[in-house]
Amino acid sequence: MLWYKAWLETRWRFLIGLAVLMVFACGAVLDYPAIARLNASVSAIDAPGNLGRLIREAAAAQRTYRGFIWFQWYRQNLVQTWTILAVLLGSGGLMGASPGSALFALSMPVSRTRLAGVRAATALMELLALAVIPSLMIPLLSPAVGEHYGLGETAVHSMSLFLGGSLFFSLAFLLSAVFDDFWRPMLITCAIALSQTVVGALAGLPFSEMLRVMSAESYFRAGQIPWVGLGLAVTTGLLMLSAGVAIVERRDF
Amino acid sequence: MPEAIIKATNLRKTYGGVEALRGLSLEVHAGSLCGFLGRNGAGKTTTLKILLGMMRPTSGEARVFGRHVSDPVASVEIRRDAAFVGEDKPLFEDMTVRDVIRFTAAFYPRWRQDLEQHYVATFALSPAMKVKTLSRGMRTGLALLLALCRNARLLILDEPTSGLDPAMSEQVLQALVRHVASAGTTVFFSSHQIAEVEQVADRVVIIDRGRTTITAALDDLRAQYRRIHFVFDDDAPAPVFRAKGVERMYRDGRVLTVLASAGAEGIVEEGRTLRPVSVDVVPVSLKEIFLESSGVEG
Repeated sequence: MLWYKAWLETRWRFLIGLAVLMVFACGAVLDYPAIARLNASVSAIDAPGNLGRLIREAAAAQRTYRGFIWFQWYRQNLVQTWTILAVLLGSGGLMGASPGSALFALSMPVSRTRLAGVRAATALMELLALAVIPSLMIPLLSPAVGEHYGLGETAVHSMSLFLGGSLFFSLAFLLSAVFDDFWRPMLITCAIALSQTVVGALAGLPFSEMLRVMSAESYFRAGQIPWVGLGLAVTTGLLMLSAGVAIVERRDF
Repeated sequence: MPEAIIKATNLRKTYGGVEALRGLSLEVHAGSLCGFLGRNGAGKTTTLKILLGMMRPTSGEARVFGRHVSDPVASVEIRRDAAFVGEDKPLFEDMTVRDVIRFTAAFYPRWRQDLEQHYVATFALSPAMKVKTLSRGMRTGLALLLALCRNARLLILDEPTSGLDPAMSEQVLQALVRHVASAGTTVFFSSHQIAEVEQVADRVVIIDRGRTTITAALDDLRAQYRRIHFVFDDDAPAPVFRAKGVERMYRDGRVLTVLASAGAEGIVEEGRTLRPVSVDVVPVSLKEIFLESSGVEG
């Protein structure tokens, strides 16, 4: 029943996120013919500086359908939307929908570790579904635009996103154990996540390495899964989750 | 004396420099229906939360069923045998009445389905209704149902009738009394409503500013507390009584008033040596005792 409660508390965030990502995934595939036509002229743009470099890189990456999907879906739409959803699902912690909900849960004969653990596990399963299910639309819809996209490729990118990006979920979960409200953990983690995935990438900052891991750039370019980055992200994420649970165990409600 | 189901010794709790509990000690014995009285901010809710493991005391010790409340494993065991109804009747807002009952019942193997059906009817609860749409009275009824049906040995209730109309309050109190009478459950409930404590409790614990001021059986309080008025010809003297049981003493012109918690006869006898023109001994209500022990002057 704890799983059911955790599902009830997170279902709208999950279902709305799933619906949005499904629409984005379909849009990414069905837009391909139009984008491919535009892309041919983009490579001729001679913009100076970092922006110009980014445009040229984007154009170069999208010369093939595989590159287009990686760039548009795994490096932009999915990674950004999924990261925000990871933060939303990680925020709130044991307080759930309301402080009353936490008090009622804490009056049950269940340890706080189990309460927090079930909450985290439920959200992580939802995040896994959000990383995999919309991405499955890509191989399913590709024949509609006369293209093919492999399931193996889908699996590697989705798992990289999930394993790497769960770091942001863990950070939101940890901050939710510290703060009483939903908003502070959400805003702080969102600011950090967006600086990594959007601002960092645009500005070419070195800490945008997280984006490379989550989008499995090394796999796209050289067929190498970013094991080191994923390992570091998972280890750090697990440490943050453990710290969050330890704080929940000790704090007053 | 029955076993102490709840025993707190010298509990202290400090939040950000404010002392909510300042050495609170109390005992609640098996089978009793114990009222827990105190002014706003006296430390009632903090005490109840400590007993249920939702807060940890800064120092001191509390045991429920002989188990240490600060030990996380023991705390789970305590909650297996205790039910809590919080002041705001905290429940899962997104669940329906049916779901929240199913959720709670899943944790308690001795769940009383007969009582569940009884209270669903008594409190006119519709199983398909969302918890967040329930009226205050229905919400209290549901919270009480969830507490009573788990067949717990101990009910801890924080202001169970707060915000209810008199009819609903009566219904809740009657449900409690009937349950205690039939199941022998121990009840420890905080309240601002002195009349309702007098109506249902057999023992009372009164606290003020984080300390226990009175722990006694209600009948003993009624039997032993007396207000004694000594009226003199001239200004009342300021004697020092040797007799035990003098709680407070006031002088107002020719009248000396003594609040006695015990041994009123001895105090009267000693007071007569001061040659008053009249002596009047009157019983004291729980409200007066509460106000006196909380330092509120009448």
